[in-house]
Amino acid sequence: MPPRFEDLIEQHHDEIFAYLWRLVGNERQSDVVLEVEDLTQEVFLRAFENFLRLRRDSNYRAWLYKIATNCAYAKLRQSKNRREKNLTFMATDTTTSPGESIQKRLCTLVDALPAKQRACLTMRYLQDLDYSEIGSILDCTEESARANVYQAIRRLRAAVEEER
Amino acid sequence: MRKFLSKGDREMVTRLRSALVAPPRAAVSKSRASVKRWYGETAPLIQWGEMSSPLGTLFVAVNTRGLCAVDFGRRETDFLQRLDPQARLEKNPKAVQRVTKQLLEYFARDRTKFDLPIDLSVLTPFQRSVLDIACRIAPGRVWTYHRVAEEMGRPKSSRPVGQALARNPVPIIIPCHRVVASDGTLGGYSGGSGLKAKRWLLRLEGALS
Repeated sequence: MPPRFEDLIEQHHDEIFAYLWRLVGNERQSDVVLEVEDLTQEVFLRAFENFLRLRRDSNYRAWLYKIATNCAYAKLRQSKNRREKNLTFMATDTTTSPGESIQKRLCTLVDALPAKQRACLTMRYLQDLDYSEIGSILDCTEESARANVYQAIRRLRAAVEEER
Repeated sequence: MRKFLSKGDREMVTRLRSALVAPPRAAVSKSRASVKRWYGETAPLIQWGEMSSPLGTLFVAVNTRGLCAVDFGRRETDFLQRLDPQARLEKNPKAVQRVTKQLLEYFARDRTKFDLPIDLSVLTPFQRSVLDIACRIAPGRVWTYHRVAEEMGRPKSSRPVGQALARNPVPIIIPCHRVVASDGTLGGYSGGSGLKAKRWLLRLEGALS
């Protein structure tokens, strides 16, 4: 039996919020809670608008992640454009600044990953989705999802080791 | 392509997990409440209730346009699952009181026609016209599927007529049970306990002895 829309909110709101938090919240803006809250609402609004068009045997969880990923991509593009216009804003400078904690540093490095690698890594190791789900969310093969995660980890390791 | 992570990769994953922490609980709760509030304001509302009847527990549901579902001989969860999946459901016996009152009068043989607004917006125009014609059949009488098709000016459409009647979201209220097969058998019935219920309804109305 397909779920009712209110069941989708009950079952998946928290993980979608956490996913967006990890994907977009990393931007370290002061109003991050509000931004992620707004983005989560947009995800459920889009889901509501398209809910009746979905096939009854669809994977509703993967479908919500797909919408969330698209919303997050748009948000990340917006932030990137804003930063490029504002030359004084240096939040994504990937060089180390004195006193920066290792954890914060890692967040900055994750922010600098290509969007797809960032999404794959977040879904696999922070949201615990399996590769077949990630593949269907990002419209790619399981192998491609796996490769993106692997490349993201390699890239992060290389950056960290280079700084030592 | 490597399938397993090396020790160094696994360490990186562990560090990532501690760096990209979960959001604060208060933020998650606030967001959940706000999504639910938006949903409550946006989603169509369906109010439903139940009543005891000679056919077993009977469920009814109304929306802002009128009566949108009647069902019996099923479990509550199955009835609710068949309602508009986008809608917000609220159990509210008062909201369906007008419907249940008329149904009780019908079962007591004090009423033969229902006076209720009905929402058939989930049906196609063809299905709606079939149900409109079914409403013209007087209590105590039966028509054949063929007769209904003829009334629609489509005498060869007995089968689609049967299929449209099977989609009736408000059985008893729209009397699809008054349509039978040309060979004298009862045909089909999608409401509750199937043909047993159809036979019972036709007996109640005096169309069957």
